[in-house]
Amino acid sequence: MTVVEAKNLHKRYQLGKHVVNALDGVNFCVEKGEFVAIMGASGSGKSTLLHLLGGLDKPSDGEVILAGKRLSVLDDGQATLVRRHNVGFVFQFYNLLPTLTAEENIMLPILIDGKDPRYYEQRLQTLLELVGLSDRRRHKPDQLSGGEQQRVALARALITEPAIVLADEPTGNLDSKTGVLIMELLRRSCDQLSQTIVVVTHDPRAATYADRIVFLKDGQIKVEIQLKHNQTPVQRLRLVMKTMAKLEA
Amino acid sequence: MVLSRLLIFRSLRSRPTRVLLSAFGIILGVASMLAIGITNLTALDSVTRLFKNTSGNASLMIVSADSTQRGFSERVLRRVENIPGVAVAIPTIQVKTLLAEQISTDQIDLSFFGASMGGLTLYGIDPELDIRARTYQISEGRFLSNDHTTNEIVLVKSYADQEGIGLGDWVSILSPKGAQRFRVVGLITKDGPGQINNGAFGVIPLKTAQNVFDRPGYADQIDIVVSSAYSSSDALESLRLDIQERLGKDYAVIYPASQGRRMAQMLGSYQIGLNFLSGIALFVGAFLIYNAFAMTVVERTREFGMLRTVGMTRFQVTRQVVIEAFVLGVLGSILGVGLGIFLARGLSRLMGIMMNQEMGTIRIDPNVLATSLLVGVTVTVLAALIPAWQAGRISPLEALRIRGTGRDSWLIVHGWSIGLGLLLVSLVILILNPFPYDVQFRLGSLVVFALFGGATLILPASVSLWEQVSRPFMRRIYGNSGRLGSSNVQRAKLRTTLTVAALMIGVAMILIVRGMTESFSGDLKEWINAYIGGDLYVSSSVGLRRDIARRLESVEGVTAVAPIRYLDVKWLKPDGNEQDLSLMAIDPAIHGRVTSFVFSDKATNPRMAMQHLAEGDTVFISSVISEKYGLKEGDVIRLRTHIGTKDFRVAAVVVDFYNQGQVIEGSWGDLRRYFRVNDATAYMIKVKDGYDVQEVQNRIDALYGARDRLIIESNQEIKQRISQLMDQAFIMFDVLALIAMLVASLGVVNTLTMNVIERTQEIGMLRSVGMTRWQVVGMVLAEAGLMGLIGGIFGLILGVILSRIFMISMTAMSGYNLTYVFPVQGVVVGLAIALFVSQIAAILPARRAAMTPILDAIHYE
Repeated sequence: MTVVEAKNLHKRYQLGKHVVNALDGVNFCVEKGEFVAIMGASGSGKSTLLHLLGGLDKPSDGEVILAGKRLSVLDDGQATLVRRHNVGFVFQFYNLLPTLTAEENIMLPILIDGKDPRYYEQRLQTLLELVGLSDRRRHKPDQLSGGEQQRVALARALITEPAIVLADEPTGNLDSKTGVLIMELLRRSCDQLSQTIVVVTHDPRAATYADRIVFLKDGQIKVEIQLKHNQTPVQRLRLVMKTMAKLEA
Repeated sequence: MVLSRLLIFRSLRSRPTRVLLSAFGIILGVASMLAIGITNLTALDSVTRLFKNTSGNASLMIVSADSTQRGFSERVLRRVENIPGVAVAIPTIQVKTLLAEQISTDQIDLSFFGASMGGLTLYGIDPELDIRARTYQISEGRFLSNDHTTNEIVLVKSYADQEGIGLGDWVSILSPKGAQRFRVVGLITKDGPGQINNGAFGVIPLKTAQNVFDRPGYADQIDIVVSSAYSSSDALESLRLDIQERLGKDYAVIYPASQGRRMAQMLGSYQIGLNFLSGIALFVGAFLIYNAFAMTVVERTREFGMLRTVGMTRFQVTRQVVIEAFVLGVLGSILGVGLGIFLARGLSRLMGIMMNQEMGTIRIDPNVLATSLLVGVTVTVLAALIPAWQAGRISPLEALRIRGTGRDSWLIVHGWSIGLGLLLVSLVILILNPFPYDVQFRLGSLVVFALFGGATLILPASVSLWEQVSRPFMRRIYGNSGRLGSSNVQRAKLRTTLTVAALMIGVAMILIVRGMTESFSGDLKEWINAYIGGDLYVSSSVGLRRDIARRLESVEGVTAVAPIRYLDVKWLKPDGNEQDLSLMAIDPAIHGRVTSFVFSDKATNPRMAMQHLAEGDTVFISSVISEKYGLKEGDVIRLRTHIGTKDFRVAAVVVDFYNQGQVIEGSWGDLRRYFRVNDATAYMIKVKDGYDVQEVQNRIDALYGARDRLIIESNQEIKQRISQLMDQAFIMFDVLALIAMLVASLGVVNTLTMNVIERTQEIGMLRSVGMTRWQVVGMVLAEAGLMGLIGGIFGLILGVILSRIFMISMTAMSGYNLTYVFPVQGVVVGLAIALFVSQIAAILPARRAAMTPILDAIHYE
């Protein structure tokens, strides 16, 4: 079952007198329970693709179908509701509310939706255990490390059981050890919760946790590789590096 | 609700400084508004209460309908007593006198804002009857005995203490029959009737009073206590009409409290001015609130962006900010009410000094309280609406950026055209001025806000010009870092604009207040100089006979003696209504030798005008009456005189503020002919050239001071006293202007703190490449200084324009047609305060910027 589908996506920006093609005819889809990584150099259009997939921005041409809904025909209010119910976001800089505790930050989408948080207590417990923060649930962001903050952000993205989690450079602001931890968590939520995940990253090590890697260059998908379960991490990394080298050449 | 609690209250709690700063805007605005409201009501109350206390249980009183008559025959008492419904009728004689031992100039009766001050007020009463109406609280001794002919007196204790009089002492009191000795048999507290004349009050037996003050068989007033069946207002009114009908038109049957109404009316325009200025203070407060919220939104761009990505709708985000504003508005308004009540105490005391009357406890009216709260909350929410809407417009993509980007809004880029339009329209309205007076006032108020709005919109477009012009100065004062600071003004334009606008309004307010004060006191002084012409002013508490003039003229050193007689007269207006006016009668033959009139129309020939007055059947009218009722030279004014109604031709329009300008001037001949009055209120004396005024004063005092109970004052002393009173009257306006300035200074703190926070990384970089802490301080101070300069200069321009508008409004309201005096002092003070305030307010943010460790600053996100 397809969770999100991009059809002939184009995104153009006006930069002074020049028109920049951030995306140039991208066709792309993600199946339920799939973990996809989008890779590419700076300016390759990977973040733009993620924004369009999550309904944060509108394409210049083409369309995105998310959870069966054509995002391009929705107005802002409708797109907001689609996001609220179907998408979980993880940002590079965590973006937690400094005034709320970890658990309150996690429950934020539930509260925004006007639902009673008590019904989600079980889900909260599960997620806190998954991200390993049960003992720090009442801490505020400034009392948490970067890795812990990103884990809270991940739990927040998962609380509504969204159709898809979109992560934009989730390890970009973390040291490599903590980065590994976050990627393992994403992997685990895919495996244990059947969560569909799309991660944008330029870190090849992070990308090896995905089932499939899509390589973007100049706004176009150049290569896609499928990673197998029986491959060792080293084999996966070698494959990713080789593809990247080929693409650069 | 849970979400609101989590997001809104925590957000407010997490930014205590910002919340405090925005709340200050509301607190000060609401406080000044409430304080003015309370003070106005308290003043009104105290006046009403005073007149009510004077009458005690009496529900009605009878006075002579013709104020030129000195009282009426006691016989009327018997007619009144028999009217059904009248329980007791109490006659009194009321006289203004002095203690013979202590004639000092400050005891002289002087009227300002309609309040009478100084002297000793004595009531001649029937002790048995009087206590049935008035309650005298005896603190020492006893009340008057029932022997109506003894020379007993009961004084107010505070007055007796002040004059060094004790129980059992004999005091001498001036009367037409010379000094009369009275024994103090009792002292009363300063309550009820004890408050009359601010405590300078005493009672003596009625018969003694009639005898001593040469009024046998006369009463000035009859107080009526009605039987219980007539206590309802309808019954009372029908009784009043019944008595009025039985007594005829020579008597006026009135309610005791209605006496206070005239005084309240006099305070009216003064209070409108205060209300208007407190409104502007709140307006400045709104700027501060807007600014604080606009900053909060910029600061929280990423937060709002994130909330949008996780599914918050635009409406939800906007609503969140609006609720935050509401909560802040409620909190700020409640605190403002507290401060307002505190402030009201001070202002009421000031008002009390001005009116020479104790204000008593302040009256906190629920309506005023509710209005202040409502206005406070509404203004806060309104001020936060645009920032709230902007918060809702934040794109979810902003969340993904490291920092929110503050793009210049449409108003900042294009607002100048609207601003220019607003300014032009306002100015055209002002210059053409095609509207009738009552419209002018409302329009004037609107134009004030339009001008403020227009100038605010023009600010952003002019900032870069200002910056370029002042850059060399900033560089000179603060060095190279000053140049950097000065150019920083151009970065956060919205924030800077609003801060500068708040400073601008503050300075404009100072200018308005100063402009008005200087113009008003300029005209007032000119009038006083003419009014209290000559060198000496001779008055007496017991009436001055005409022959005293001859004696004064014979004193060595005196060259001319001009009499003045004040009289209350009734003007029969063309619309059929009657109005009380003061008539000042002068002797046209002598007046010009001692003093002069200030004619409104500079083309008036003073000699011809005086000649017309001497010919009789003519009057001068004050410019206030002329403006207010559209009367001019050649028109006719009909007065009720002793021999019936009589038309007087207006010979000239003069500047005269006596009795709030409700005054006309007539000749001595007409006074005798039509009003049968032949004594003087005062004599103005011109001293011969070469003679020392003080010496002549002493000579008159030695010759006639004691003999004729004269009070001789030099004009210098009187003028000083009046100008002191005037200064007190204007202090309240200054207080309000300073409050607005204080609010504006908070805006500077807010803006600079925000700028410093936003540029933490940049400041860290500057420090790392070698900028010293002092240079950082200089940079921030330069930015603030430039804000102060722009705000100051814009404020000065607006202030000058607005003070002129205010004068137009004032003319429309009260008829005072003032000559505009350019407020030089205000210009200097306004600009100095703007610069000073901006520097003081910048100290904290500058310190913050300078003290942040370099590494922390560089890694600040």
